[in-house]
Amino acid sequence: MKIRKRSNNEKIEAQMAPMIDVVFQLLIFFMLTLKIIEPEGDFNINMPIGAPSQANPDQPLLPDIKVRLRANEDGTLQQLSLGRSNLGSDARAFDRLNMEILKMIGRPGNPLTKDMEVEIEADYNLHYGNVIQAVGACTGRLDSRSKKIVRYVEKIKFAPPKRPAG
Amino acid sequence: MKIERKKAEVAEVDMTPMIDIVFQLIAFFMVITNFEQTQADERVKLPKDQLAKPAEVKREEEMTLNVGFIRNLEGEKQSDALVFYASEEIPVLQFKDKLLQEARIYKQKGQPVGDVSVIIRADAEVPTGLVQELMKMSQEAGFTKFALSATQITD
Repeated sequence: MKIRKRSNNEKIEAQMAPMIDVVFQLLIFFMLTLKIIEPEGDFNINMPIGAPSQANPDQPLLPDIKVRLRANEDGTLQQLSLGRSNLGSDARAFDRLNMEILKMIGRPGNPLTKDMEVEIEADYNLHYGNVIQAVGACTGRLDSRSKKIVRYVEKIKFAPPKRPAG
Repeated sequence: MKIERKKAEVAEVDMTPMIDIVFQLIAFFMVITNFEQTQADERVKLPKDQLAKPAEVKREEEMTLNVGFIRNLEGEKQSDALVFYASEEIPVLQFKDKLLQEARIYKQKGQPVGDVSVIIRADAEVPTGLVQELMKMSQEAGFTKFALSATQITD
C-alpha cells in the first residue's frame, strides 16, 4: 500500500481568532467583576441579656477599669479619661490609654487579665470611630516587630446608653 | 518597463506575545477576584484600627447590620443614621421589628438565636448611642454575640 505523503510540508495553522475572542471575553468579565475590598476585622463583644454579670464573691476583687469618653456638641472627642485621670483629647490620647492599661495589668498575658473587664462609657452623640479606637487601645497593641497582636484585656462592656431628653 | 506584481500575501501578525500577556492578565484577575458573598455595604465608612485583624475562624452563623448615612458626592451626610437592611433604609431606632423578625427566622430554622453573631458595621461618624441602642434591641430580640467591625490599618 502506498502511503500518500503530504504534498508539501505545510505548517498546520490553528485558528487563533475564536480563541482570542473568548479570552478577551473572559478578561473583560474578570475585570468588571473585580471589587477591591479592604481587609476588615472585628472586635468580639459578648453581651448576654439580663443583669450585668455579678462579680463572683470567691474571686479576688479586681479594680474595675472605667474608660469615659466625653463628646463635644458635634460628636468629636472632648475628653478621654481612665478612672479619674484625664488623658486629654488629642491624637495621642489613645496611646496614653493603651499605656495606662498596660500599667494596670502588669504584663500582657497575665492570668488575672482573664477576669478583668473594661467598661466603656461614652456620650450619646460621640462619633463611633472614637469608641472603636478606645476598644482597640484596651484590647491590646500590635507588636511592631513581629506584627502580632499583644492582648491586654479581652472583655469589654459598654455602659448603658443614656438617651438625651428630647 | 515591466512592473512586477507582488503576490497577494496576507501579512501575518505574531500572536504569541499578545496571548501570553492576555493569559497573564486573566490569571491575575481570576486570582484576585473573590466571589464570596459579602453583606458589606459600600456606603458605610468603617472606622480604622490597627487591631482589626480578619477573623481566623469563620463564624458559623452571622448576621451583618450595616449602619451608615446617605452621603452626597462630597461625602456630606444627607440623612440621619440608617440601617441598610436588604434594599431598605430604616432609621436605627425603628429597626426592632426587623430584628424580631430575623430572630423568628432563625428559630424556625432550628437555630438558637444566641449562637448567631451580630456583626455591626457602623460608620465612623454614627453617634455611639445609636450603636448601643441597636445592640440593646438585638439583645432584646435574643442575640448575645456581637462583633464591631473596623478596617485594618495597613502601613
